[in-house]
Amino acid sequence: MIRGKNTIGLLGLAALLTACSGPTADKAPPAPAASVLPEWTREQKVDLGRQHKTAEDLYKALKDQAKGGQKLAWDAMPDWTGVYSRPPLNGFTFDPDQPQGSLPTAKLTPEYHEKLLKRVEDLKKGIEWDPISACRPPGHPRWLTEPFTREFIVTPNQTWLINEMVNDIRRIYTDGRGHIPEEDRIPIPNGDSIGFWDGSKLVIHTNQLQPGIYQRANPDYTDQVETVEIWQKTDDKTLGVDVWVYDPPALTEAWYVHQTYGKLSDPDLRIRYWDCSESSNNSVFQNKQGTTEFKNLNFEKGKP
Amino acid sequence: MKKALLAAFITFALAAVTPSVAHHSSTMFDTTQTVTLEGVVTKWELTNPHSWLHVEVKGKDGKTKVWGFEAEGPSTLARSGIKPSDFKVGTKLTISGNPMRDGQPAAIWTEATRMSDGKKFNPRAGFAVK
Repeated sequence: MIRGKNTIGLLGLAALLTACSGPTADKAPPAPAASVLPEWTREQKVDLGRQHKTAEDLYKALKDQAKGGQKLAWDAMPDWTGVYSRPPLNGFTFDPDQPQGSLPTAKLTPEYHEKLLKRVEDLKKGIEWDPISACRPPGHPRWLTEPFTREFIVTPNQTWLINEMVNDIRRIYTDGRGHIPEEDRIPIPNGDSIGFWDGSKLVIHTNQLQPGIYQRANPDYTDQVETVEIWQKTDDKTLGVDVWVYDPPALTEAWYVHQTYGKLSDPDLRIRYWDCSESSNNSVFQNKQGTTEFKNLNFEKGKP
Repeated sequence: MKKALLAAFITFALAAVTPSVAHHSSTMFDTTQTVTLEGVVTKWELTNPHSWLHVEVKGKDGKTKVWGFEAEGPSTLARSGIKPSDFKVGTKLTISGNPMRDGQPAAIWTEATRMSDGKKFNPRAGFAVK
């Protein structure tokens, strides 16, 4: 009798799930609206960065060109599902198109060029300290470079860009809100991101960021750094991102780079919680010479 | 001339950059050297940001020492096909890595071969997008 009740319950649940499961094979989901923004060449994208003095100007120009963009509908969203990662092109340097063995492609102010040269010279002497060594978040725009697993969660009002490293989430508000008012801004690692959809392209403006480095052996950025990004699926297995970085104290012009994230084929892959305190063998510190040293390596049986 | 020399120096320095360990710099390891040891697993720390495989090694004098071999975290290891069950305590293996410059018994794990079945493990393969 109990089994009979359970069977009826399961059938009812199955019917409900079928009814709620969205489009069936004979009813394909509607496609997102067509994109208005054109497909530019790399040179045109570099020029686009030069034509606009600030990230805000570029973002507004793109939004005007897209006539404000469109609101996503739950039944017509781009499919960004899956677990992705950034391919280790040319190491993990910020610009994947940086020629092997050359300096990063950013046009730096003299002060920041000197800082970069010193970083590279120090590295040659075996001196390197990465500011995220004690498990600080990488922060944006460095966030774009880290090589771990990622997920991208699209909803009509927000898109979450997730990197496994330090359980790092960037929230992109696409509900029409503006940035936090200037007088109330506090710099935070991933800043404040607003965006709009142009067809299946997500255009993002990020400000309110903290200083950092683009990656090891890469330049510094300041708390005035801002970015504009255009994210889109370039094929079934790839998300491509055009990025323009503006940072007047450090960059003489916008730094354009193109990032890609490839979909991983293992269907069983899971993103694991990232807890830096799991092993004391991972603790490091910056020594008097300015380089990295382990704090407490211990491999004796039963320890740590 | 000075600029040309500086450019040549920078090119050499950047060519020497080996981003082998994410999260922290790998300058404490000598990536130009490789040590290969035979031993027995005593502990397998599958942790973030780095995992550590503890391997007990018998020296020529008959004394034992436990080495730590550093690899990436569990997700990156999973992407390279390395599972928690691959290295149970007592597993015999041959393991290679880039040793520490200061002589401590630790290395960046580059390759291991499990003696029971000859299976090879390369934790660095986990960054490939496939």
